Amino acid sequence: MAEMWVNMGPQHPMTHGLWNLRVKVDGETIVDAEPEVGYLHRGIEKLCENRTYPQIIPIADRLCYGSSMTWSHLYCMTVEDLTGLEVPERAEYIRVVAIEMQRIASHLMWLAAYAGDLGLSVGFTYTMRDREVFVDLFQALTGGRLTYNFPRIGGVAHDLPPDFDRDAIRAVDYMEKRLREYEDLFDRSKIFMMRNEGIGILRKEDAMNLGVTGPSLRASGVSYDIRKDAPYSVYPEMDFEVATHKDCDCYARYKVRMVEMWQSCRIIRQAIAEMPKGKWRVVAPRTAPEGTGLGRVEDPRGEGMMYVVGDGTDRPYRLKVRSPIFVTVSAAPKILVGYKLADVVAIMGGLDMCIGETDR
Amino acid sequence: MNEDGGSTRKEDIERAPSRVDEVPEERLIRALMDSFPNSITDFLRLKDGVVRAKIERRDLHMACRLLRDNLGFEHLSMISAVEYEDRFEIVYHVCSYCNRLLLELITHTPKDDPSVDSVAAIWGGANSQEREAFDLMGVKFNNHPRLERILLPKDYLYHPLRKDFRG
Repeated sequence: MAEMWVNMGPQHPMTHGLWNLRVKVDGETIVDAEPEVGYLHRGIEKLCENRTYPQIIPIADRLCYGSSMTWSHLYCMTVEDLTGLEVPERAEYIRVVAIEMQRIASHLMWLAAYAGDLGLSVGFTYTMRDREVFVDLFQALTGGRLTYNFPRIGGVAHDLPPDFDRDAIRAVDYMEKRLREYEDLFDRSKIFMMRNEGIGILRKEDAMNLGVTGPSLRASGVSYDIRKDAPYSVYPEMDFEVATHKDCDCYARYKVRMVEMWQSCRIIRQAIAEMPKGKWRVVAPRTAPEGTGLGRVEDPRGEGMMYVVGDGTDRPYRLKVRSPIFVTVSAAPKILVGYKLADVVAIMGGLDMCIGETDR
Repeated sequence: MNEDGGSTRKEDIERAPSRVDEVPEERLIRALMDSFPNSITDFLRLKDGVVRAKIERRDLHMACRLLRDNLGFEHLSMISAVEYEDRFEIVYHVCSYCNRLLLELITHTPKDDPSVDSVAAIWGGANSQEREAFDLMGVKFNNHPRLERILLPKDYLYHPLRKDFRG
């Protein structure tokens, strides 16, 4: 049969956002693929050159609607690196609690979308309902439910609200109970396992060479987590394990994210218990010196990086954002070729696409 | 740490010959200095595990090959293009999973000929990032397999991150 190109997107239930995956099929088998991104390009890097440093925090929130806290935290970290600002310890603990909450919320949203893709509607409704617990917690902490504008250059916007410790521990207790239930729900679902096991193999060498990072890299058997291996904030004081899996398939990617949610619960407990008293913010200078600053964090989707060039004024001269998914999606042809058209949904869903940060 | 991750590190440490008393940053600097004595300059240890160096653009491709093949830099994190008044700077952040290092490699290109050699053949992850730098900043990457716009429409006329671009 003749080969032909099929457009999956820009409007397709599989894409979760606005992007296009062109696949070349021979019958049902994929022989080539080509992702097309850029539909959501907002020119954020250029926009930032015309804003003062604090004005960029809400813009950084909008880089990824699924994990805005990590991006605004990364931005503040990068500018602190440029100005050489020391952040109070309490602020670092509050930030760690917030970004681990964000990791759970982001993974839950991924799991909801993934379950929906694979036909498990109950997986969608359960996970979205439990994400609400953390969204409510964010609302108590920051006032926002999706974009928070909470970290500041030199700390966080305000201290923890009253009884936040109690609510956070309750949410974590609840989450751990639910995670056990999810494992029963998904791992014992025959359809879920059939569509995941042995599908979308990405070998370790390819994953490293193609720049795949985050859970997808660890699911290919590379034990590298920036929180552990190039630690930032107060992660060196936290006791947690890096989730890895050596199966390299879609199931491994699912499993790594599940283990990461358990570990995030562990980190939140520790950070709440060990949180010191004191100031949560120092006043940052209005201008930043000439020079460069670099920030690097473990985003829920992979390695998030920012590189800022300061020129002595109150605006950045250049701000470069490294989006994990922008690079990961370029590995799509390598993962897809050889599988059936129906596997595209499972494979691309397993990468956890977020178009906001991909297109910037 | 699982067994697999551990074994990667062990293999790579065996591959890179080293003296016991050296910290990884120093070993990296020594290896680069030995291979490119004339074109690598301005070494700076920014913080633990982060090193900065400048390289002439004619040796960039060779240096990157050395980094991947002999020094254990498996991962290209980020390519950033920055425009200054007299030059373009292309900044490569290269990461080593086995030695837990990050190298910031800076190369300059003149304003009238903004081009460097592509490293897409060395790290597959560079492919789309080089296309992005070409798209937004107009820096050309020689020998790139497919240097086209990636974020903006194909018929777009400008490179919007340049300082002379006014929306």
